[in-house]
Amino acid sequence: MFHRFSYSFPTLAVDRVEEVEREKKIKAVKWITANEIYLAGHFPGEPIMPGVLTLEGMVQSALILVGESLSRGNISASLHKVDRVRFKRAVIPGDRVEFLVSLTGKEGDLWTFKGKTQVGEETAAEATLILKVVVREVGFEL
Amino acid sequence: MMENREIQSILPHRYPFLLVDRILEIEPGKKGIGIKCLTGGEWFSQGHGAYPPALLLESLAQVGGIVLGSKARKENPQSQFIGLFAGVSDFQFQRCPVLGEMITLKVEATQSLASLYRFSAEAFVGAEKIAGGQILLSFMQSPAGAPGRGPAGKK
Repeated sequence: MFHRFSYSFPTLAVDRVEEVEREKKIKAVKWITANEIYLAGHFPGEPIMPGVLTLEGMVQSALILVGESLSRGNISASLHKVDRVRFKRAVIPGDRVEFLVSLTGKEGDLWTFKGKTQVGEETAAEATLILKVVVREVGFEL
Repeated sequence: MMENREIQSILPHRYPFLLVDRILEIEPGKKGIGIKCLTGGEWFSQGHGAYPPALLLESLAQVGGIVLGSKARKENPQSQFIGLFAGVSDFQFQRCPVLGEMITLKVEATQSLASLYRFSAEAFVGAEKIAGGQILLSFMQSPAGAPGRGPAGKK
């Protein structure tokens, strides 16, 4: 999914994209299971999804939305800024997490998104994300 | 100065999610400077070899947790507490640190309201500032005699 991006994260923090509207919004889903590597240390005997990884899920959803919105070129996208991040509810194994991210503005190469993480009806986290998106047009591949 | 062993007596975090290696300077309840070394053996290093921004936030939050936790321990060596990562504001990333670099994590408490603590947090590689902003931690002491870390650990 991320082969077009110069972006790295060891694990894909989303499992499936359920809805996507180009240049508008995306809904992605992840299931949380006790077998995930980081849950071993967060915390021993008491697995809780780290808040920063729900943030990561929102960032990755935003990246997919960028990828869907631009049909060509090599995309180099990086996280530029996060603001108004609030972690509201613990996410534990067995939960189904939904990442709802919508594009709210573009200024030059900075794209602003509003993200929300939900477990069922409850909001687990919220964030404003700004990504720096640079597109290089590619010609014929040699 | 605080070595990893002592860090583990304050934070409940363990492998692979203990994201601070050593504390260089600490003023309990006020500020702290920690380091995190990046090497090829870590679980997030497959791929591009950069330290993910989300984990950088976590490293800074853990130093914040140590600043608050060490104050509680200084007042009462037996104290138990729960720290939660409550939020981030206005946090900007200049670049991602890469393998082979050592990140210096600086946090300083700027404001507190009830159980919420606001920190200004900055990450450096050498003299270069690579990220900075504000983080928000929620910190509660458990009543004396209550077992362990309670339902939520730190974050």
